[in-house]
Amino acid sequence: MSHSLDAYLVLSALLFCTGMFGFLARRNAIAMLMSIELMLNAVNLAIVAFGAFTPRLTVHASVIALMVIAVAAGEATVGLAIVIAIFRNRRTPLVDEYDTMRD
Amino acid sequence: MSNEALVLALLVLPIAGFALTAVFGRRLGDNSWAISVGAILLTWAAGMLVVFGQLTGAFGPDGLHFTVYTWIPAGTFQLDANFMVDNLTAALLIVVTTIGMLVHVYSIGYMAHDPGKWRFFAYLNFFMFSMLLLVLAGNFLLLFMAWELVGLSSYLLIGFWYRRRSAALAAKKAFLVNRVGDVGFSIGIWAIWTTVGSLNFSDVFTKLPQMLASGQIQTWQITGIALLLFCGAVGKSAQFPLHVWLPDAMEGPTPVSALIHAATMVNAGVYMVARANPIFSHAPAAMVIVAAVGIFTALLAATIALTQTDIKRVLAYSTLSQLGYMFASLGVGAYAAAIFHLMTHGFFKGLLFLDSGSVIHGVHDEQDMNKMGGLWRKMPITHATMLIASIAISGIPPLAGFFSKDEILGASFRNGFYVVWLIGAVVAAMTAFYMFRLMGKTFYGPSHVAPDVHPHESPPAMWVPLVLLAVPAALLGLAIGWPPDSGLVHQWLDPVFAQADQTLGVHQEAFQVFGVDGALLLVSVALATLGLVTAVRLFGLRLPGRDVEPKPAVVEATTERLRPLYIASRNKWWFDDLYHGLFYVIGGVVARAAWWFDGHVVDGVVNGVGTLTVFSGREVRRIQTGRVQNYALGIAIGLLAMAAGLLVITAR
Amino acid sequence: MSNALAGATIPGLGWSWADLLFLALAGTMLGAALTVVLGHDIIRSGLAMIVSFAALAGIYVMLDAPLVAAAQVLIYIGAISILVLFAIMLTQTKAGPTRLVFHHQAWAGAVAAVVLAAMLIGVVTSTAWPDTVGHQLHTATDALAHMLFKDYVLPLEVVSVLLLAAVIGGVFLAKREEPQVRER
Repeated sequence: MSHSLDAYLVLSALLFCTGMFGFLARRNAIAMLMSIELMLNAVNLAIVAFGAFTPRLTVHASVIALMVIAVAAGEATVGLAIVIAIFRNRRTPLVDEYDTMRD
Repeated sequence: MSNEALVLALLVLPIAGFALTAVFGRRLGDNSWAISVGAILLTWAAGMLVVFGQLTGAFGPDGLHFTVYTWIPAGTFQLDANFMVDNLTAALLIVVTTIGMLVHVYSIGYMAHDPGKWRFFAYLNFFMFSMLLLVLAGNFLLLFMAWELVGLSSYLLIGFWYRRRSAALAAKKAFLVNRVGDVGFSIGIWAIWTTVGSLNFSDVFTKLPQMLASGQIQTWQITGIALLLFCGAVGKSAQFPLHVWLPDAMEGPTPVSALIHAATMVNAGVYMVARANPIFSHAPAAMVIVAAVGIFTALLAATIALTQTDIKRVLAYSTLSQLGYMFASLGVGAYAAAIFHLMTHGFFKGLLFLDSGSVIHGVHDEQDMNKMGGLWRKMPITHATMLIASIAISGIPPLAGFFSKDEILGASFRNGFYVVWLIGAVVAAMTAFYMFRLMGKTFYGPSHVAPDVHPHESPPAMWVPLVLLAVPAALLGLAIGWPPDSGLVHQWLDPVFAQADQTLGVHQEAFQVFGVDGALLLVSVALATLGLVTAVRLFGLRLPGRDVEPKPAVVEATTERLRPLYIASRNKWWFDDLYHGLFYVIGGVVARAAWWFDGHVVDGVVNGVGTLTVFSGREVRRIQTGRVQNYALGIAIGLLAMAAGLLVITAR
Repeated sequence: MSNALAGATIPGLGWSWADLLFLALAGTMLGAALTVVLGHDIIRSGLAMIVSFAALAGIYVMLDAPLVAAAQVLIYIGAISILVLFAIMLTQTKAGPTRLVFHHQAWAGAVAAVVLAAMLIGVVTSTAWPDTVGHQLHTATDALAHMLFKDYVLPLEVVSVLLLAAVIGGVFLAKREEPQVRER
């Protein structure tokens, strides 16, 4: 099993869907961000898996995975900064209570 | 001046008179009649020159046919403004111009006290223009245009006293009922155009018979065209079932009634059918219908005239009846007799109307005969001329009506239309009866005039035309209709109708004084005399040396005995009520239903689109929750849908 | 790794050690991920996230990509997770754990996630990936370095600028507002 590409891809799919469910279902903004990180990781896993089993993509996959990790770090930084800034105003981390732009 | 210019003068003079009177009339005040009467006198002079030229053959054997300009050039179809003058036109011109001129002169006196007289004279001139255009037209479209213009003039003149509600309604009724006939007429013209491809009289009247003979068109097509054209005649000449507008048209001033509704406009239908005799003579079925409608109208109108009390209404129904005679004559194939009767009728009916106008003027605008009586002493000229006209219309020889009416009856009998002859004879008796009833109630017996009314004779401006009209009313028949079947009128008109006579197989036999014709003559004179004598015994007569007192008691008793018929006749056989119920009431219901439909269904659809838009917009807006997580779910679902779609597509 | 354990099976069961390791790591990772999304206590979710990242690093090692595994540990566990935990603590309310962890739309989200998983797994397993071999390939670190600084040097520089921007932005966004200086 561990020698087949499919297993890793299935694992990646499951992780991605878990992350997606968490993003759509959780009320806490930080929990949503954590779910996003899970999704990014799932994608990373898929990339590296492809790289491990396809000779001409091996090195490229690792490079791309590194890029993804770096960008994820930047995105997490900014996202969390925003959540903290909003928290200062609204005093709540729950996204469905951010409704001043609704009618 | 050239012949064509003379004919065009007949058209230009009245319309110029109309325009000038319309512009300057108000300023001229009491003299506003001058322009229009002057124009009409010149028109009459020109008309007489044209008639003289045509009837003496100076215009050539075919008459005058000329084009002024090309009106509609449309590819393969071309319509010119062309005019024609032949003997038939000449006969009509005599009537139209002479009576028009006399009515204009009469109106000077009749309308002297009316502040709107400048309008009246302008409209009269406009009417003359329209009528002359109708008579001179050389193609069907020009005829139809003049037809409509005449209807318009009639509307304007009937409703002349527009502030009077009954007049306005009568004008509207006249126009609308005419319109009904005009629908058939215009469809007929369209049918002619699609069949023949041209609307010129000369083209149509030669090509249609050719096409029938060569089998290109069937008999039913020509019959259909003839009947459609006849629809227009039924409307314009007030035959059954479109007869209801003519009695109401008496709301107009009496000169209008005399000119339009006796002598000229209502004869347009007769003229049109006579002009279209090539079409009609090839459609025997249509001719039977024409005759039937005509004689039925004659009978119907005569029965109603027996009981009316308004002097003008009696004359209106009398006009209907005589028009019925004319159509019956056309229907049995006696075209020349119909035109002859048209001419004589124009003169004596015009005279009768102008006389009645004089009477009305004399008793201060009272039109109810029950409030007249004993006027023979106060209004001698009016009385004398009206007596002459009544004798003429009753068909007593040797006055005019006898010749023309007898010709119609004789032709009906000779051509095999015995029913038409019988009904015509009965109507002749009725005509004499109601005319002398009118005379009796108006002029003879004790005076029932209102106490503050002092009857007086009319001013010269009014009685001079009366006297002038009495001459042809008395003598025209003798002048142009004797000897029977070969008088002047026959010499003039037989060539026009020669083709039709040939088609119908009518051959002119010599007049047999001691044979069939003599017997018929005796019968018609006898019946007319019977009617006359009965009326005189009931309603009185006063002649120098002869004095018959009216017997109101006998009248009452007879009325009681015939009460149902009396009521039916009095109520005009309830035709007006029938039409009111049929069109006004039922039509009102239909109209209200259509109004409801338009307001609710049609507008409902339109408004519904608006409401739908607003509603759907409002509902769709609810997708915009403002919450990011809902949007994220939307994105996820969209993603799934697209992926699924892609899989489905690529799996095929 | 694959060479060392290649062919080795668990005595008595017939499974290979590699498969067992894979299952263990995968199970840990997924379990931790489920804790992240389903957990009531957000601190517990944060810690579960760290466990998930660690398991993922192990899987990277199994895939013979040691540098990526190292980067995963250093950056994800060492930096991002710390950030997240800090943010959790900074945004805690005195009211304690909230009544509801999920939205009303959680069910719709669950359905969507399950459907997506089914589609992905179905597609993946039914596809014959071309150019693949039946065993993991080793990524040489020096080859990776060559690639990074030769073919991918532009993306490298861009990412560094991006990180700079992210840092500046993050500092600015999270700064406390200075009270206005009063006019003297």
